[in-house]
Amino acid sequence: MRERITVYLGGVVVLGLAMVPFVPGAPDSYLFYFLFLFFLHTAIAQSWNLVAGFTGQISLGQHAFFGLGAYTTALIWQRQLFGESYGYYFDPLVLILSGLVAGIFALMVGFPLLAKLRGDYFALGTLGFGEIIRVAFVKGGQFTGGPFGIIMPSSVYETLRPHYWVGLALAGGLTYMIHRIRRSHFGLALISVRDDELAASSHGIDILKYKLIAFALGAVFTGIAGSLYGHYLFHVSPDGFLNLNWTLYPILMAVIGGSGTVLGPVVGAFAMTAVFTLASVSYPEIHPIFSGAVIILVMLFMPNGIMRLAKR
Amino acid sequence: MWQFLSLGLLAELTVNGILFGAMYGVAAVGLSLIFGTMRIIFIAQGTIIILGAYLVYWLFTLGGIDPYLSLLLVVPAAFIAGAGVYQALFRKAAAISDKNTSLLIAVGLMFLVQNTMSYAWTPNPKSIVTGYTALGVEILNMRLSFTRLMSMVIAFAATGAVVVFLRRTLVGKAVRAASENMQAAMLMGIDPHRVNAIAFAIGFALAGAAGVALATTYPFDPYFGFVFALKALIALALGGIGNVVGALVGGLALGLIESYSAFFISGGWADAISYGVFLLVLMFRPEGLFVRSIKKA
Amino acid sequence: MNPLLEIRNLAVAYGDVQALWDVSLNVEEGTIVSVLGANGAGKSTLMRTISGLMRPRSGEILFEGKVFSGKRPQQITAAGICHVPEGRGLFSQLTVQENLELGAYLPSVRGYFAQSLERVFELFPKLKERRHQQANSLSGGEQQMVAIGRAIMARPKLLILDEPSLGLSPIIVRQMFELIEALNRQGVTILIVEQNIRQALKIATRAYVLHTGRVAMEGRAEDLLANPEIQKAYMGTLD
Repeated sequence: MRERITVYLGGVVVLGLAMVPFVPGAPDSYLFYFLFLFFLHTAIAQSWNLVAGFTGQISLGQHAFFGLGAYTTALIWQRQLFGESYGYYFDPLVLILSGLVAGIFALMVGFPLLAKLRGDYFALGTLGFGEIIRVAFVKGGQFTGGPFGIIMPSSVYETLRPHYWVGLALAGGLTYMIHRIRRSHFGLALISVRDDELAASSHGIDILKYKLIAFALGAVFTGIAGSLYGHYLFHVSPDGFLNLNWTLYPILMAVIGGSGTVLGPVVGAFAMTAVFTLASVSYPEIHPIFSGAVIILVMLFMPNGIMRLAKR
Repeated sequence: MWQFLSLGLLAELTVNGILFGAMYGVAAVGLSLIFGTMRIIFIAQGTIIILGAYLVYWLFTLGGIDPYLSLLLVVPAAFIAGAGVYQALFRKAAAISDKNTSLLIAVGLMFLVQNTMSYAWTPNPKSIVTGYTALGVEILNMRLSFTRLMSMVIAFAATGAVVVFLRRTLVGKAVRAASENMQAAMLMGIDPHRVNAIAFAIGFALAGAAGVALATTYPFDPYFGFVFALKALIALALGGIGNVVGALVGGLALGLIESYSAFFISGGWADAISYGVFLLVLMFRPEGLFVRSIKKA
Repeated sequence: MNPLLEIRNLAVAYGDVQALWDVSLNVEEGTIVSVLGANGAGKSTLMRTISGLMRPRSGEILFEGKVFSGKRPQQITAAGICHVPEGRGLFSQLTVQENLELGAYLPSVRGYFAQSLERVFELFPKLKERRHQQANSLSGGEQQMVAIGRAIMARPKLLILDEPSLGLSPIIVRQMFELIEALNRQGVTILIVEQNIRQALKIATRAYVLHTGRVAMEGRAEDLLANPEIQKAYMGTLD
């Protein structure tokens, strides 16, 4: 019952947020940009949560998926793969393809890694994968634009509204999906894998299949988020998109909010986006110092995340 | 390219690989110790090395203290700082079975330290130039830079000291015991916080030594630390996680891989190749390349 | 006189799962006490709580009349309780001698190191031969000797043995029980958890039977040995 109310309340909040761009002047405010970042962060934090929170496998290669998504968009657009007159800017097909490319990479690399590696070793393996992808794009020469990356025509930019809506849809949709998954057979299977792999395998759950699906789904959404951020910057580069921060941020947000919970990553994304933006507005020169201190303090005093603290 | 390849060139690539690899090795030894008792990858290790390098730089430019002389200051200071950092930041988290908390505190520490350094000393690369920076030693027709040679000596000496400590002292044996089986160690009366603090203290002291070695040989900037930690991690995997001598050997192997692949393939791909080797090792020899696999009794 | 170890109404839980309910148990000085029960009855949990590896939810543990529940393992070890855990808990990468040295890790017993080492090597001459070998290169019986030897190095007043005969051949098991009795005669009080119920009851003074986390039965060991119910429940398959 309480959960139902939370879902309805969540729906109302998402609808309310979807109306914000119609408020005159809103799209030009800093708060609007903040919300866009919050949605983007929620999407990548939830994607990581899907893998780590529910299967217990920590991926340290999310930046590769984020970058793969962004580069897919940039390459399709720059090369005009669908013809010259095609509207690439916020084209649903381009967004979905960007996610799928990341997902295909996740399947290819996830199968051997998940089949063979556990715990820390899986984390390190994904980290190695992520770095290989980064180096490959830096060294990609003409094709990837090398260390400079690819520029997309920013003349199409009018407002931040489409970014905001796509971000909201990603964040809201993903959160709702995780809520549904948690309730489903699939979700229970994931959780049983996390809690007791041996027991789960003896009950005939095909562990590898479930882990692989979770890993690939997380990659698809992270890839779409990467594409979305590419639509905002119009410049996809290794430094901007294949930076390890895109792995660290979602982990931070999910864990600070409470990984393995449905709303934890949302709360964590909100808190960290607030900390990051507040710090960069008020004290731009010491912003990362401040963020580092916040991470340490939260972990010292709320080691299980904000959501789990609230439950008690 | 092949026609230029002489025995002398091959030897030089090998020597350079070993010299740089020794530094990865020291960093990996520190990671290995902390992983042993705490079961976390202390991702801030590289950043602490850079902090050590800045300290050396600072002592040199402001106090005129010779970089090698500053070892006597930096290493003990780092040792104490390591124990302090454990007590202040990790003591509470160490008791929690979920290792993510400790891992994230390490991430937070890395952010904090690298950006504080960037704020204090600017993000521009720094390097130390002394009277002997340009000195070289001629061995078998090869010119070896004196400072690089010294870095290797520091690396080997530091690792050797740690090995002696672990093998010869009761506290060292307690650290090894705790790395293998913390609960059984507790039943011997070993205080887990004490061995954790010692592992951190030694890890930091090694980072201090590596900082001296780095500052005298290569330019460094605040953000280089993270890359360094990743390299140390690869070295650790190559040598077998939790094996101190293996960590040094893994570092040397990584140095060689990088040196050869930078020459034979291309500079930029060296990183991808080391990560590729890292992945292959994780998949097929997770116990490390240089350990005889021991059958569990 | 107070018993050496006194446990009053102990309750222990792993998270939400309670493992022990209202367990009370006494170990008089100089005796051997056996704790019996099926797998999952809570025997190991009880031992782990006594040695401080787990914290009780409620109840008290008194050792020599002083409250020790909730103290840390190193304080409990320092007070003279030595726990050889299930599976022996050897440091397999360390040598035999290093394992023994760590048995005498605490400053209070380090002074007796040479003396204790001699005592262990007298009891187990084989260990002296193999002292520089890595512990995992030893046979199961020899490893159990190292585990008990390591405990002797700590000069315990109370020795807790959790399933010492697990995985050993019948001859070695018999030698082990003889050894336990010999140690007891030398003045070490012993609390032993065993699957090998007949042997454990033969050497014990008193025994407790745990059933799903509670004390189901207690009494003099010889009475329990003669008890038809015990014979039926625990020894039927062993004959």
